Amino acid sequence: MTEAVPAIQTLLEELTKLPGIGPKSAERIAHFLLAGDRKVAVTLSEALRAVVERIRPCRECFNLTEGDLCPICSDRRRDGGIVCVVETPRDVGLFERAGTFKGVYHVLGGRLAPLENVGPDKLTLTQLVQRVRRGGVREVILATSPTLEGDGTALLTSNLLAGTNVSITRLARGVPSGASLELVNSQILADALDGRKAF
Amino acid sequence: MAAERATALVIRGTDWSETSRITTLWTREFGKVRALAKGGRRLQSSFEVAFDLLTVCEVMFLRKAHGGLDLLTEATVRERFPQLRTDLRVLYCGYYFAELLADGTFDYDPHPQLFDATLETLRKLGNPTIDRPAAVSAFELVWLRELGYSPRLEECAVCGTPVEAGVRVPFSPSAGGALCPKCAPSTADRRWLSADGRATLGRLATDGDTLPAGVRTELRQLLSQMVSSILGRRPKMLAYLDGVG
Repeated sequence: MTEAVPAIQTLLEELTKLPGIGPKSAERIAHFLLAGDRKVAVTLSEALRAVVERIRPCRECFNLTEGDLCPICSDRRRDGGIVCVVETPRDVGLFERAGTFKGVYHVLGGRLAPLENVGPDKLTLTQLVQRVRRGGVREVILATSPTLEGDGTALLTSNLLAGTNVSITRLARGVPSGASLELVNSQILADALDGRKAF
Repeated sequence: MAAERATALVIRGTDWSETSRITTLWTREFGKVRALAKGGRRLQSSFEVAFDLLTVCEVMFLRKAHGGLDLLTEATVRERFPQLRTDLRVLYCGYYFAELLADGTFDYDPHPQLFDATLETLRKLGNPTIDRPAAVSAFELVWLRELGYSPRLEECAVCGTPVEAGVRVPFSPSAGGALCPKCAPSTADRRWLSADGRATLGRLATDGDTLPAGVRTELRQLLSQMVSSILGRRPKMLAYLDGVG
């Protein structure tokens, strides 16, 4: 019967627009928000409004930030000479959680996928080239996904940076640390063999 | 649901959830198949990493009886084309083939010769000395032939009257071939096809190794127009192919 209430119906429709949320999940979330402490719903709506109004791309790297520069670009302890090129702000979070990278990032805003109408003009490639040309960058790490589209994006980026004197590297691919060989698939093994290095 | 086995080229894919993927496969046995791979994004699954674009794989799937997505149960990588990852021009050609197969064919309408031609062309494109526009044109001609739209060069595409051999003729991409003097004036998209272009077009599908410089631009434009006419729109990837030569 909740579907008959317009406000709830609107909420359900909006929730189902979120990734991974189907009609049943949307209904569960809506009932949770309505049945319990309604302050939870208010806090959630304020948090949503805050990110929509305050969050914008970093002027330098296009990561998400509240200010002009993101915390990583503002951090003087980071090595600005090494730029890790990633597809999305989410990828920045993944690298930061790994905790080993001390350089800075450049977020492309997606990957080259012409069949899905994502061409070079939809990515922040021009800004990356300008950033490198301004100087101070020694190495650009192409950290796009190891899929055909990710590799295509890396290839295009590499071509665009070919005229600069910066070192261009690509993430290694192969067997993950801690994995048993019998559990990895043949393609990962093939990649690991291709990318083997002196020991 | 019947279990089927097929050799497939991945021509489109989209993430469905954190672990699952919807993929469009161009199979040799069944033509275009759209299927859900539950767990297809996991590294450790029964799909290996077979659903990357333009990967050839052996698949097992459960065919839905009443429409909807089929269900993939197994996939093994059979072939990849390394040059797609090292040469942007080859990658764009591969995407173009995927676009024509995904948007220009029907579900469960098999064309084994088109499947074979796709793989053979992708392999050929690995050779850096290959005449790429010739390879793309030859592929387009196979695609046109398999869909029933081979350009008619010897008789009028509108009325079937034989057209004079060995000379320049009016040609209509939308009508699908040469035009006789009587039909040409009433065909809006007519253009000229040179005698050399006509001869080259005639042999390109069987001998697609070279596209002579004198007719290259003419034939690329003409084939692009034919493909666009059949798709009902200009393929997205043509702009990229034009950009890289």
